[in-house]
Amino acid sequence: MDEHVARASGANDAGPAPGVRTRDAMSRIMPAFALFVGIVVVWEAASRIFKLPAFVLPPPSAIVGVLVARQRDLGYAAWITAQEIVSGFLLSGVAGAAVALIIARFATFGRALYPLVVLFQNVPKVALAPLFILWFGFDLAPKVVLIVVIAFFPVAINMLVGLQTVDANLIALMRSVGATRNEILWRIQIPNSLPYLMAGLKVAITLAVIGAIVGEFAGAQAGLGYMIQFASTQMQTSLVFAALVEVSVLGMLFYYAIEWIERRYIDWMPHAA
Amino acid sequence: MNAPPHILARGVCVDFTVAGRVTRVLNDVSLSVPKGGFVSLIGPSGCGKSTLLKVLAGLLPPTAGDVSVAGVTPIEAVRQRRIGIVFQEATLLPWKNALDNVALLMEVAHAGRGNDEIRGRASDMLRLVGLERAAEKRPAQLSGGMRQRVSIARALALDPEVLMMDEPFGALDAITREEMSDFLLGIWERTKKTIVLVTHSIDEAAFLSREVHVMASNPARIIEALPIGLPYPRNEESYAAPEFARATARLRRLLKEGHRQAIAA
Repeated sequence: MDEHVARASGANDAGPAPGVRTRDAMSRIMPAFALFVGIVVVWEAASRIFKLPAFVLPPPSAIVGVLVARQRDLGYAAWITAQEIVSGFLLSGVAGAAVALIIARFATFGRALYPLVVLFQNVPKVALAPLFILWFGFDLAPKVVLIVVIAFFPVAINMLVGLQTVDANLIALMRSVGATRNEILWRIQIPNSLPYLMAGLKVAITLAVIGAIVGEFAGAQAGLGYMIQFASTQMQTSLVFAALVEVSVLGMLFYYAIEWIERRYIDWMPHAA
Repeated sequence: MNAPPHILARGVCVDFTVAGRVTRVLNDVSLSVPKGGFVSLIGPSGCGKSTLLKVLAGLLPPTAGDVSVAGVTPIEAVRQRRIGIVFQEATLLPWKNALDNVALLMEVAHAGRGNDEIRGRASDMLRLVGLERAAEKRPAQLSGGMRQRVSIARALALDPEVLMMDEPFGALDAITREEMSDFLLGIWERTKKTIVLVTHSIDEAAFLSREVHVMASNPARIIEALPIGLPYPRNEESYAAPEFARATARLRRLLKEGHRQAIAA
C-alpha cells in the first residue's frame, strides 16, 4: 500500500528526479547482487580448495567458460525453449481467462465445469508428458500442450477470484440503473479482475518454464531441457550448469516482462514489494 | 406537512430465513417522509435500520406491508431513477478517476446520450460537491471524505428525487464527519432532495434532520418519531442551541430505553 500511495503522489509532483530514481533502484538490488557475488566467490573458492571433480560440481569459472565457448549451441537451444515457453504461456493465459469468464458468466455451466477443473488439477500433469509425446510428436506441440495443462489453472483461479470479488453494493447500484449482466461484466468485473489475472500470469510463467523443460526431458531433439539431459548423460556437468543458467535467465526475463506490463498498465492496485 | 408524503411505509415486516429458521428483522414499521424532508433512522447495530433503508430503496422486497416512493413502489421508483443511493463505503472503481466514477451510472442509464453531455453533467456534479479540481484523481489519491463526496455526486448525477444514505459518514473521522454534515445540509438546501439517512450518531441525526426515527431491536421497530425544531440553515451555533440539547437528550433516553427493553426481552 505504501508504494501505491507513493506512486499516486508521485504522479502529482511529476515524480522524483531521474537520478534519484536510478539511485533508488540501485540501492534496492544491491543486497541481492552482493549476496549473489558472495555465493559465487565461496563456490569458486570451495571447488578450488577441496579440488572437487568438475563432473560433480564445476567451478563458476568453468561454467562461464562453457557459456562463452558454446554460446551458439546454447543460444539455439534457448531459442527453441523460449518459443515453447512463450507459446505455451500465451495459450495458458487465453485458456485460463476463458475458463474463468465462462464460470463467472454462466453460473449453471460454471457449477458443472468448476469441480472438473479442480479434479483435473489434481492429476500429476508431469506424468502426462510421455502421452503428449506419443500423441503430438517431438516438436513444439507436445511441450505447448503440457505447459497449458500445467499453467492454465493458476490463471483461471486467480482471474475467477477477481471476477467474483466485486462489491455487492456496486452491483446493486449497476442493476438499479438497468445494467445487464454483460455490462456489469465488462464495466466492472473484468477490469476488477485484471490485477488478479496478472498475479495468475506470474505464477503461470514460472510453471511454463518447468513445463517446457519437463516436456523436453520426455522427448525432444533440441532445447535447453534436451541439452541438460544430453549433457548429463555425457558427464558434461559444466554444460548442464551453463544450460541451467540460460533457463534461469529466460525465466527471469519473462517474469519481469510481465511485471513491467503490470506496472505499466494496471497501476491502480498496490504492488507486492 | 399537509402535502402527500413523498415516502410512505405502512406495516412493513421483513423476515430472513437462515438455516431453516425464520427471524423477523423488521416488525410492523410505518413512517412517512414529506417531499423535501430530511429524516434520519437511528438505532443500535442490528436494529434493522439498514434493512429498512434497503426496503425503502427498492433493494429488498418486504415480507409484508406497503411501501411507496413518489406514489409508486420502490422498485418502480428505482427504475424511474427517482432514488439515489449512497453506502457507507464509497464503492468507487479504483481504476477510474473521479469524473469517470461520477459518469459510471449515467453511462449505463443514459446509453443514448452523447459522451460530452454525460461528461458535462458529471463535471457539474463534481462542482456541486466541491471537487471540480479533483476530477482527474483516482480514488486512491482522494481522502475518505472526498471519496464519499464523489459517491454522493454519482448518486446525484441521475437527478433522483430521493437520496437514501446508509451510514454514509460512518467510516470517517469525527472532524471530517462534521464537515460532511455541513456539506450534506448545503447540498440538501440547494437541491431540495428528500433525504433518508441511516446513522449511528445522535449528534449527526439531530443536527441534520427535520425528524429522527428512533429504532430498537428485538423485535426491530420504530419506537418514536422525534421532530427536531431547530431552524435551518443550521451551523456551528446550532449545536449550542437549547433545542439541540433537548433533542439529543431525548434521543439518548430513547436509545437507552430501547436497549434496556431489548435486554429484558
